[in-house]
Amino acid sequence: MTTIDPTNLKTTKEIGRPDILFCVAHLPDSTRLWAGSSDGKVYELDPMAEPNQLGELAGHQGFVTGVCLTDKHVVSGAYDGRLMWWDRDSREQVRSVEAHQKWIRGVVASPDSKLVASVADDMVCRLWNTDSGELVRELHGHQPNTPQNFPSMLYCCAFSSDGAQLATADKLGHVVVWEVASGNQLGTVDAPIMYTWDPKQRLHSIGGVRSVAFSPDGRLLALGGTGQINNIDHLEALARVEVFDWRKGERTHEFPGDEHKGLVERLAFDPEGKWLLAAGGDNGGFVKIFDVEASKIARQDKAPMHVHDFAASESWDSIYAVGHNKLVVWQFET
Amino acid sequence: MPTPPTTPQRTTPPHRDSGLSRRDALRAGLAGAAAFASNMTVLNVLRSPALAEELKRGRKRVILLWLAGGASQLETWDPKPGRATGGPYRAIPTAVPGIHISELLPKLAQRIGHTSIIRSLNTRNGDHGGASVLMHLGRRDEPSLKYPDLGAMLARELARADSAVPDYVSFYTATEGRGNAVGRSGFLGAQYAPMFLTTDSKPNNLALPEGVSDLDHAQRGELRKLLSERFAQGRTSSTLASHNEAYARVRGLMASERLFDISDEPQSIRDMYGPTLFGEQTLIARRLIEAGTPFVKVSRAWWDSHGQNFETHLELATELDHVMSGLLDDLEQRGLLENTLVITLSEFGRTPAINPSLGRDHFASAWSATLSGCGVHGGSVYGKSDDDGQRVVDGEIGAAELFATIFQAVGIDHQKQYYVGSRPIPMTDPGTQPVNEVLA
Repeated sequence: MTTIDPTNLKTTKEIGRPDILFCVAHLPDSTRLWAGSSDGKVYELDPMAEPNQLGELAGHQGFVTGVCLTDKHVVSGAYDGRLMWWDRDSREQVRSVEAHQKWIRGVVASPDSKLVASVADDMVCRLWNTDSGELVRELHGHQPNTPQNFPSMLYCCAFSSDGAQLATADKLGHVVVWEVASGNQLGTVDAPIMYTWDPKQRLHSIGGVRSVAFSPDGRLLALGGTGQINNIDHLEALARVEVFDWRKGERTHEFPGDEHKGLVERLAFDPEGKWLLAAGGDNGGFVKIFDVEASKIARQDKAPMHVHDFAASESWDSIYAVGHNKLVVWQFET
Repeated sequence: MPTPPTTPQRTTPPHRDSGLSRRDALRAGLAGAAAFASNMTVLNVLRSPALAEELKRGRKRVILLWLAGGASQLETWDPKPGRATGGPYRAIPTAVPGIHISELLPKLAQRIGHTSIIRSLNTRNGDHGGASVLMHLGRRDEPSLKYPDLGAMLARELARADSAVPDYVSFYTATEGRGNAVGRSGFLGAQYAPMFLTTDSKPNNLALPEGVSDLDHAQRGELRKLLSERFAQGRTSSTLASHNEAYARVRGLMASERLFDISDEPQSIRDMYGPTLFGEQTLIARRLIEAGTPFVKVSRAWWDSHGQNFETHLELATELDHVMSGLLDDLEQRGLLENTLVITLSEFGRTPAINPSLGRDHFASAWSATLSGCGVHGGSVYGKSDDDGQRVVDGEIGAAELFATIFQAVGIDHQKQYYVGSRPIPMTDPGTQPVNEVLA
């Protein structure tokens, strides 16, 4: 049982960095983290240790935008289109796979650690055997171009807690839920308001679904992004979350935001499914906690930086957030 | 050649008492022709024998791809891979060994032999409005004198006196920054003002009014000509002849309506430019310069990527790559490239520093432009920024030097002087030198 009290969320550690951290994975029962960086490396970090940087995994040629842990390995994906397996203890590279033709946007491990899913701007989600690194399945369900003939992007993916389903989400706000075992599409939902095409003032686009999360029971699917943007020079629209009963294709919750602007870069339900944690930003950052049952914002605050990702400890007493030039630890103090 | 001071070309200011206002002319979509009618004395000047040689240059043409809002040099012509400021895009080799550009421009990388990259602009103005004026005029604006912009000067120098097509056409469809996209003939007179197309890619009101047939129009023209000739009998005013020329030009403009219609272009040609508005307008630009228009500006807005710079440039730089590559190929295949200068230019570049919105902000200290085709030493790079792109370390130039280089590339002496009254006004500020390394 989690005993989260949103009013007790505190920043307990704030560590400055020269780089941008785009993704983070947390080792259970520890304070060890692996974070992907704008300098092409994956850093092994322990925010509670001194020094806090324990090691680095160097090999990518581009922003490292996805990282996950399996039983023995760290798996990272980057804008170079490669997935890399690293031995968690020796920090040796085990495998490097040319996984995608374009930027990899996200890498997640299935709950049983048998599969790794990667999504990229080639608009394909690929499932990989964690142990062998072999390609298990390709999932094609997203259009390569926007209606205005520009390249689309496949931003994020998430497994359901039982590993049976996988959701993938793109720039246009189109989300597909897949049956992992068969690769069949089980359903789709759309959040088109998260995609802005400016047909008059600036003639280009911005936005997209940047984060996706299943509720613990698998019924709800939360999508994070931003609202329609008037001036697309900036991320000036309010951060936005929509929640769907994906099997019914019905939107059950809409959190259009009332305070913080920018992209919701990361979403996660707590283990009980009562709370939905969101973080992201524009030039600043924010963290929000939604009360799912009451369908309201329970807590929202500025974050010290634009947050690109976070990872929660098993008991959800600690949240490790990474982003623009910072690593932050939030804790629910009792 | 510079005009000798003893025989100055005097540029007469536009007539203030003309019954046809500039706004009226724009509304009619006949800006160039109508302005001619309002300023006949310039036509007389153009007819002088001293200009005959000058007019031979009329075969030179210029297309400016105006990347409004400020394209990032790091995501186009001056990548810094592996640096903290470099961003996520790689640098790729081009067809010329040793020259690398952003991976967002793979097609242009293969065509770099046509292009000279200038990586050392330091224009010291990071404000959209002021910087746009600077990069359109090639000099600081002056309240007491209305300088002409690049297009007006090129139209003035490269247009044929007997041309039936507009001399300066400017496309700017997006609304953002349109007010900064200077289209100013200044002291050269309104005849060199642009036909400024905003809401549509072709001028309005070129078609005959409903109920007026081609025959009606032709007969009216003949009647007007007859009356005009009778009026001119026994009179020697050259203004009358200019008056008739202006009407001829209006007829030419009306006949040029088809130039703005790309529907009769083969699909293979349209594919070279792509399906976007920028592509279509650039194809129209090629059609115009092929028909004799000396200067066309195609504005592609809006590159002002304070947020999500890399995604914005994925869209816009990818589009530029396709459109400009198509343009260069098309011009080359038609034998036009050697006489057509293609320019890419913005009001400034973007900061090397990446902000928390993954954007880049305004930056005028070390940025890039390109010249391709006519008069250019293709496959070359001029100037250098430092490893992080923060400042120019070699070959620093400003707007004036860039303009002088553009003028030289199309055979115009950048030191040529105009006269406003008795005041000599050089095309570029005194002491300005072109970048000879960029020139063929």
